[in-house]
Amino acid sequence: MDLIAGLALGALFGAALQLSGASSHTKITQALRLKDLTIIKLIVVAIGVGLIGVHLLDLSGWAHMKIKDLYLPGIVVAGLIFGVGFAVTGYCPGTALVAAAEGKPDAWVTILGGMLGTLVFAFLFPDLETLLFSFGQYGPVTIHGLLGIQGALLAIPLGGFCLWLAAKLPGSGGAR
Amino acid sequence: MWWAGGLAIGIVLILAVALFQPIGVSTQYVVLDGVLLHNVLPDVASKSPYLAKATQGWTLATFEFFFVLGIPLGALVGAMATARFTTRVVPTEWNKRFGSNPGNRLVWSFVGGFLLLFGARFGGGCTSGHMISGVSQLAVSSLVFSSTLFASAIVTARWLYGDWGK
Repeated sequence: MDLIAGLALGALFGAALQLSGASSHTKITQALRLKDLTIIKLIVVAIGVGLIGVHLLDLSGWAHMKIKDLYLPGIVVAGLIFGVGFAVTGYCPGTALVAAAEGKPDAWVTILGGMLGTLVFAFLFPDLETLLFSFGQYGPVTIHGLLGIQGALLAIPLGGFCLWLAAKLPGSGGAR
Repeated sequence: MWWAGGLAIGIVLILAVALFQPIGVSTQYVVLDGVLLHNVLPDVASKSPYLAKATQGWTLATFEFFFVLGIPLGALVGAMATARFTTRVVPTEWNKRFGSNPGNRLVWSFVGGFLLLFGARFGGGCTSGHMISGVSQLAVSSLVFSSTLFASAIVTARWLYGDWGK
């Protein structure tokens, strides 16, 4: 049952990414060059809907939340490395799978490179852990937790703002 | 279609959070590596506490792995519906800047893929796990990761694809 649900949700996710062009190298690099913000609008809508839905679920006590730990120098270095890979390939770990299903050979190679990067990380991890994760550890902190308020109180207006922002940002054909 | 796509992704996240846990992709690269390595060289795989922890029981039969397995399947259906299959090696924007040499594009795709997943594992998540799931939960680590990844990607892309000085 879990497996079928996983497959179905994954398929919905993959189809949504494919149909909205998130697996296109052109669309991604144009978004990163701030020339065509369609993909940015897509992400902002997803986050807006997510913020509202996830926190409403949390209010009802039905949410399975999973907050990632904050470790400060590490997260910043990680984001910088990821960003370079994102710009070079034009894919992220998920959209590379979508692009591979569309037949794009450079996406297949991106996945292979990713599998090697993962493996190297796995075997470097014990050393990296002592080097970078040993200080600046803050645990699974959230903004509403820091403020000491209910998540929905912040998430619902912020989600609304995301939806408004997505509608306001110029779409394709706007800034070229 | 950006709003429909965004809405669909948001709904996938909400359903996943209601039923199991937030969505994520990059951890499953670890799981796949772990299971493959464990099949070929079980002793080497067991030596990595990181692989053993991510791949509990060296199995692929989990909600999380099947979620990731579903992504190319859904994409395949989408690509069939829109007839958008292509075996082009060199994308248009890459061609404009670096020429049509397929070997060049493939080597850099491999290097880029390496950095992408190395960074994702370093940060404990990717565009799905940090940006979509993490930011939706208002996690501080995800906001920091997403901001730095976008800053880095924007600077790299503008430099790489030749927008400097224009």
